[in-house]
Amino acid sequence: MKKPKQKELIHLIKPQLTRRKLLQITGFSSIGTLLSSCGTPALEDLVGKLSEPVNQKVEQLIFQPQKLVPEFSINEIQPQELIVNSFRNTPIIDVDKFKLIIDGEVNNPLSLSMAEIQNLPLSSMIIRHVCVEGWAAIVQWGGICLRDLIALSQPKATVKYAFFESADGYYESWDLPSVTHPQTLLAYQKNGQQLQIENGAPLRLASPIKLGYKQSKWVTRVTLLSQLSNFKGYWEDQGYEWFAGL
Amino acid sequence: MDSPAKSQKSPTQNIAAKIFHSLNIISLFLMITSGLQIYNANPVFGGRTGLHIPPIFTLGAWLAGGRHWHFAAMWLFSLNLLGYGIYIFITRRWRHKFVGTNDIKAIQKTQNPKRLTYAWHRIIYTSIIPILLLAILTGIGMYKPAQFPWIVDMFGDWQALRIVHFASVPLITVFVIIHWQLGKKAGGDKLIESMFW
Repeated sequence: MKKPKQKELIHLIKPQLTRRKLLQITGFSSIGTLLSSCGTPALEDLVGKLSEPVNQKVEQLIFQPQKLVPEFSINEIQPQELIVNSFRNTPIIDVDKFKLIIDGEVNNPLSLSMAEIQNLPLSSMIIRHVCVEGWAAIVQWGGICLRDLIALSQPKATVKYAFFESADGYYESWDLPSVTHPQTLLAYQKNGQQLQIENGAPLRLASPIKLGYKQSKWVTRVTLLSQLSNFKGYWEDQGYEWFAGL
Repeated sequence: MDSPAKSQKSPTQNIAAKIFHSLNIISLFLMITSGLQIYNANPVFGGRTGLHIPPIFTLGAWLAGGRHWHFAAMWLFSLNLLGYGIYIFITRRWRHKFVGTNDIKAIQKTQNPKRLTYAWHRIIYTSIIPILLLAILTGIGMYKPAQFPWIVDMFGDWQALRIVHFASVPLITVFVIIHWQLGKKAGGDKLIESMFW
């Protein structure tokens, strides 16, 4: 093969880097370095570490664990507004073999099938679901009051937190007063119909008092604990607020 | 300090006014830039595919970072405003620092352009107080809708509340420009400088 011919076939456009251009580029990149300091993750991290404990104290102070959040009427439901947010793919769950485990520092660990859960009294509520991203949707959720399940498991007096595990690997932890709020449900119903898999079927957390990312879908295990581990929640471990009360 | 002799004496401001003013500017800058970072997660107008704000105007690098800055600066912003409120109340400045009937009369009657500028300026900087208070009110409504549901109800629905809260950004930006220009017109650079140092 002749070399000159090949050279003609492949037209390589060599970038001509003039002195002027080089100065321009270095100028831009140093501006970039300066500006990126405005959004440096290290600094927001520090700001979060300093302010979050204060914010959390205030949040816990104004939180009323037994007070019902006002609900909406059926015609106020906004089915189109509820966006499906998931961090991974939708898991495949065999509902017939599904068991909800409640364990940890309890006297009576539970392992419940969906049939057993659905035999317990149904609680229904129409509430505002608020996402950390800023959008909100009025949704009807139906399911079982989490505090009733917790009561069945007979938690020890030391219990202060609940750790939730999901079928897709998502994990969350909540403070006990929020877990036992009367409007915190493990829901299997959405807008009057059976919960769809993309919304967290067979069981998901639903509550008007926490931001959307606290409300795990596909919950498989609730572990009651007196102390939080280093794993506070999938998003919390990346920097989101832990209490995230509304 | 040797400065050229002036027949007019330079405007002087109370040290407290200077501190409130400076802290207000810093906190508003932080609130707006971090707020726009949060806005970008799901723009008020058009949702996910809606109009996004270029990163150069945002603070915090990502959603959680924007929230950290926003909820930290909110203390500086609201406590500063509260401090200012107590200050003007105790010193009785509220009686003559804000717009009054004499300013309204001036706008209708005066032939003195300086007096006119002054009257307009007092209207403008008086109007920022309710705008800042509205930003706090709508902010609390979005931050704690379960604890203060009446705030959301006051504005009709969630989207209306978001729009009113977001409206603080253009309102404050426009305010700063007009306030600056009128201040300059009324007292020149000397008046502007007197507000800081």
